[in-house]
Amino acid sequence: MSFARAACAAIAAMLILAACDQPGSDGRDRVVYRHAIDGMPASLDPAHAANVYSSTLVVNLYDTLFRYRYLSRPYELAPNLASGMPEVSEDGLTWTIRLRENVRFADDPAFPDNRGREVTASDVVYSLGRHFDPATRSQGAWLWRGKITGLEEWIDGGADPDRRIPGLHAADDMTVVIELTEPYPQLAHTLAMALSAIVPREAVEHYGREFGVRPVGSGPFLLKQFDETRAVLKRNLDFDRGALDLAAEGHDPQRHAELGLGSLDGEAYPFIDRLEIHFIAEPTTRWNSFVAGEVDNVMVPPEQADRVLDSHDPLRFSPEIEQRYHTLAEPEAGFVLYGFNMANEDIGHHPDEQIDSANRALRCAMRQAFDWQERNDTFYQGLGQVFPGVIPPFLDAFDPALDAGSTARDPQQARSLLQAHEWTPETLPQLTYGLEASVHQRQMFEQFRARMSAVGIPQDRLRSRSFASFGDFSRAIANRELDLFLMGWTMAWPDAQYALQLFYGPNAAPGANSFNYDNPEFDRLFERAAALEEGEERTALYRQLNEMVIDDCVHIGSLSRTRLHLWHRHVRMLPDREMLGGYFLRFVDIGAAP
Amino acid sequence: MNTVRTLSVHKRPWSVVRTDHIATLVAIAYLAAALGVWLGLWADNWAEITGTMWADPSAAHWLGTNRLGQDILVRAVASTATAFEVGLAVALSSSIIGGLLGAVAGHFNGSPVDELILWLKGTIDAIPFYLLVVAIAFALQGHAMAMHLAMILAFWTTTARVVRAETIRIGQSGFIEAARAGGSTASRIIFRHLLPNLVHVLLVQATLVFVAAIKAEVVLSFLGIGLQDSISWGLMLAEAGQDIMAGQYMNFLVASLCLFGLVMAASLLADRLQDRLDPRTRHQRSVDIG
Amino acid sequence: MTPRIELLRFITRKLAAALPLIFGVTLISFTLTVHFGPDPAYAMLGKNPTAADVAALQRELGQDQPFWQRYASYLHRLATLDLGHTESSGEKVRDLLGRTLPVSIRLLAPGFVLGTGLALLLAMFAAWHRGGRLDRLITGISVIGMSLSFVIIIIALQAVFGVWLGWFPVRGWEVHGPASYLAHVTIPTLAFVLASIGYNTRFFRAMLVNAMSTDHVRTARAYGASPTHIMRYHVLRGCLLPITTRIVYSVPALAISGSLLLESHFSIPGIGRVTYQAILSGDQPVLIAVVGLSAVAFALTVTVADLLCRLADPRIRLA
Repeated sequence: MSFARAACAAIAAMLILAACDQPGSDGRDRVVYRHAIDGMPASLDPAHAANVYSSTLVVNLYDTLFRYRYLSRPYELAPNLASGMPEVSEDGLTWTIRLRENVRFADDPAFPDNRGREVTASDVVYSLGRHFDPATRSQGAWLWRGKITGLEEWIDGGADPDRRIPGLHAADDMTVVIELTEPYPQLAHTLAMALSAIVPREAVEHYGREFGVRPVGSGPFLLKQFDETRAVLKRNLDFDRGALDLAAEGHDPQRHAELGLGSLDGEAYPFIDRLEIHFIAEPTTRWNSFVAGEVDNVMVPPEQADRVLDSHDPLRFSPEIEQRYHTLAEPEAGFVLYGFNMANEDIGHHPDEQIDSANRALRCAMRQAFDWQERNDTFYQGLGQVFPGVIPPFLDAFDPALDAGSTARDPQQARSLLQAHEWTPETLPQLTYGLEASVHQRQMFEQFRARMSAVGIPQDRLRSRSFASFGDFSRAIANRELDLFLMGWTMAWPDAQYALQLFYGPNAAPGANSFNYDNPEFDRLFERAAALEEGEERTALYRQLNEMVIDDCVHIGSLSRTRLHLWHRHVRMLPDREMLGGYFLRFVDIGAAP
Repeated sequence: MNTVRTLSVHKRPWSVVRTDHIATLVAIAYLAAALGVWLGLWADNWAEITGTMWADPSAAHWLGTNRLGQDILVRAVASTATAFEVGLAVALSSSIIGGLLGAVAGHFNGSPVDELILWLKGTIDAIPFYLLVVAIAFALQGHAMAMHLAMILAFWTTTARVVRAETIRIGQSGFIEAARAGGSTASRIIFRHLLPNLVHVLLVQATLVFVAAIKAEVVLSFLGIGLQDSISWGLMLAEAGQDIMAGQYMNFLVASLCLFGLVMAASLLADRLQDRLDPRTRHQRSVDIG
Repeated sequence: MTPRIELLRFITRKLAAALPLIFGVTLISFTLTVHFGPDPAYAMLGKNPTAADVAALQRELGQDQPFWQRYASYLHRLATLDLGHTESSGEKVRDLLGRTLPVSIRLLAPGFVLGTGLALLLAMFAAWHRGGRLDRLITGISVIGMSLSFVIIIIALQAVFGVWLGWFPVRGWEVHGPASYLAHVTIPTLAFVLASIGYNTRFFRAMLVNAMSTDHVRTARAYGASPTHIMRYHVLRGCLLPITTRIVYSVPALAISGSLLLESHFSIPGIGRVTYQAILSGDQPVLIAVVGLSAVAFALTVTVADLLCRLADPRIRLA
């Protein structure tokens, strides 16, 4: 038996195994942009696009009525599939939205003769209405439930797409009319979310459950390939939104000089022929792929932050990095916070006023015992922004003058609070701290527990309960089984209302108010603010609501992580993925590679 | 050039004997460390943050600290007790279950009882090991002993198979026949005559399960479905997987060396036990990947 | 009775005996993953659901049906190979398996072949020089190999080759041809070989030592036959059965258990990772397809192994 022969056979076998995989060679594409994101979308059905990963794909495969302007900050809405901004009646209850003409769905076997047809107002009505069919398993129904006239009766009648919804209908082929039960200024924002993207009924019915992997839309790109590692998209040649008006997109020749976008003004977009979106959850691999040139951008993992930064405060990239790459440091449009379960009488609301105030003291003591700066340093390289309350600094309603005492560690005050309300190791309640089973989550628990025991809350008073799946963690919160938990909240629109709804009574678990905070005064003011248009009165109300949450010690927080983006010099873009979006991808252009 | 060696004499070179002695000493050292933890003599402060983030080894922290500033040595020592707890609980329980079911099946060889036990065993063996353990651990989630139970349910089959085979062999040797002819009941035969003769097989199997349990704990903790609210080498290794990206290797080195030492010592002891007690039995299925 | 008919009867009997096994496996796995398993509903809800939303989704997922009804419909679907759609993306489970299974095979095949081949080679050397220095060395190395946790191997390889040296991609599966295949398969193969070689070597050595203590091998050695000759015609033939059985038996377990760890850690879109994700998210159509099919595969494997035994050694008459 010759080993050489065996080795040859083995190598041959490996080559055969390798050859089984055929690269999708559908001709060379001229301009290719390879975008890396840190997670994978589960489904490409707009009705499931509730996170940034699916949104990134969905807004590029489908059209939404509105979108955010490319470069304007603060974020500003612009028409997308709509031909202009909505016309809202004086009382704020009737919205009229006109559609752009000659927009076509992509060709697909779902249509007669495989030929895509024009997008009309009834497609908008269908796309919003299907959220209320249980078979859709929508993640976005909550955005419009209870807001549209006659919607509930229509749902009770079976959510039949052939029946008319009184408050949501097509006035003509190109005009959608929405009638509301109460003013809902955020409606325009919901229509810029991927969840509201316009789908053709033919495709939904043709593909059934498989619609989630067979997108048929009218967006700037078409899907060519999709698996666990990447999605490959091709330019939709029928997509025509005219020329890019840089000034309208908020281009400031001075502020954006570095980006090199000037030459794109007046050109028709999208500019790239092929868009690859790589799903690379693992930080080191993402970084290595970027350095090796396999992808064109990277969101720098915290562990690597020191390699690219010269100084943390003020945040400055190192000169070598600045020279080699485009750089961007921006806070996430979202935050992480700890919350208490206010429905638990051991720590939350209590009918007895004295116990209620003792419970509040305990929560406040725990808040003063926790060290956000330490959390920031150990897990976010000290780059996160710690702020009091739940209105993050990127919003207009953020109050820079707000006392930051609630986020500072003060063990002295924590101890005296406990003492003043006669909390002793014996009387302290047993609390369940819920976490998702990951290394960081477990370490964060140990850090939290260590900080609590430093002010005299013994280790055995805090019991961890870990969940291997996000679904089970959510269920425990929904069933109010956890007393204390860490959660992240990503803003879907740039308005403090989206954050403050976390404490609105009627939203109590299983709704977004996971803390089951129940304060009638808060609810009253929240309802008043929600109906208001943007303005000073609304901002003042938001700030007042924020302070109520801080005063009641409902949460411990908060912290917004800072994202560091790098991209290769020859790529002309601003890769802002906040507001659950990937709208910038249609404006990406590739120059000559160095 | 190859010379034909004498094969009849079972040689025991001194070096092999010495390896065994070292293995025994190492095992005793681990046990002592665990005893200290149980008695509260040391390492009960494994959860405390006593230093700064990723501190280098110093007089205060002999092996440095982890991301949170916890002492790595203290955590490694505390994990020793966890390893013994997991290993002993699983080894003992699966030996009892596997021993009893195996002996019953072997004694009633060919009867419906035997068929039923064989069916149960075959069913469990047919489900890929980690898939089974993960599924059980998941099903019992939140239960403090979920992982232990998962391993017991998965591990008893090997013991049962060996015990069943051994029981059948003993049964054929004649003296069970004699006892049965003398009017002994089945339970009397199993407890009085069979089990005492199975002790050596059980001992070897228990040691092997002990090793397998410790290794499986590491994998499960690494996957995030291991122990609750505790410290173990598996949890330390899971942390280490993240530390390595930031260029921190201490957690990894310490946890893997501790784990390696105990598993190696226990494996060597199991080998010796096997050779001494019954050179013919060979374990076949145990955890091949782990 | 002609041998052919006897063989056919043998196969039929074996396959019939596999039915209770398949029943048991599906029942246990169904109970664990569906009855006690994670609840996928809460991960599929929107940001601000109401209690009515939760109930509607649970009804949509069929969670309100009684256990036996769900189990019966599952068995029916397995029997008709109607595997349904995944809960996450809605992709057909059959498409998903067809996409991920080849990745796993290509990922594991080199490690499996190398691990078994190398172990057999080492075992032959050890058995030939039984009691000698080489034997002690190989036995010692295999004990070390057995004591290394797979987790340690994975982290160490990732640290050395991924972070420190940077020679190979440590994650993902971007295979477009032989070069990228080699780049991606090297580290997992190495990990697999390191993890399995200790166990395999020991087992093979024990078998070979057994076979070598038979009289005719000793006689052959005494007459000075060449080692290759003796190994090939006397020893290997003698222990072909247990070795083949072990190799065949380890295949289905390998496909899931081995790939579960490797793929979930190296982010390779194979069957193991998909299964693990399905366990975590409670994606039951995927789980029951994987477990059901692996039970069938196991039953088939056992039958094939028995058949091989029979063909290799006609003296064995299995009752």
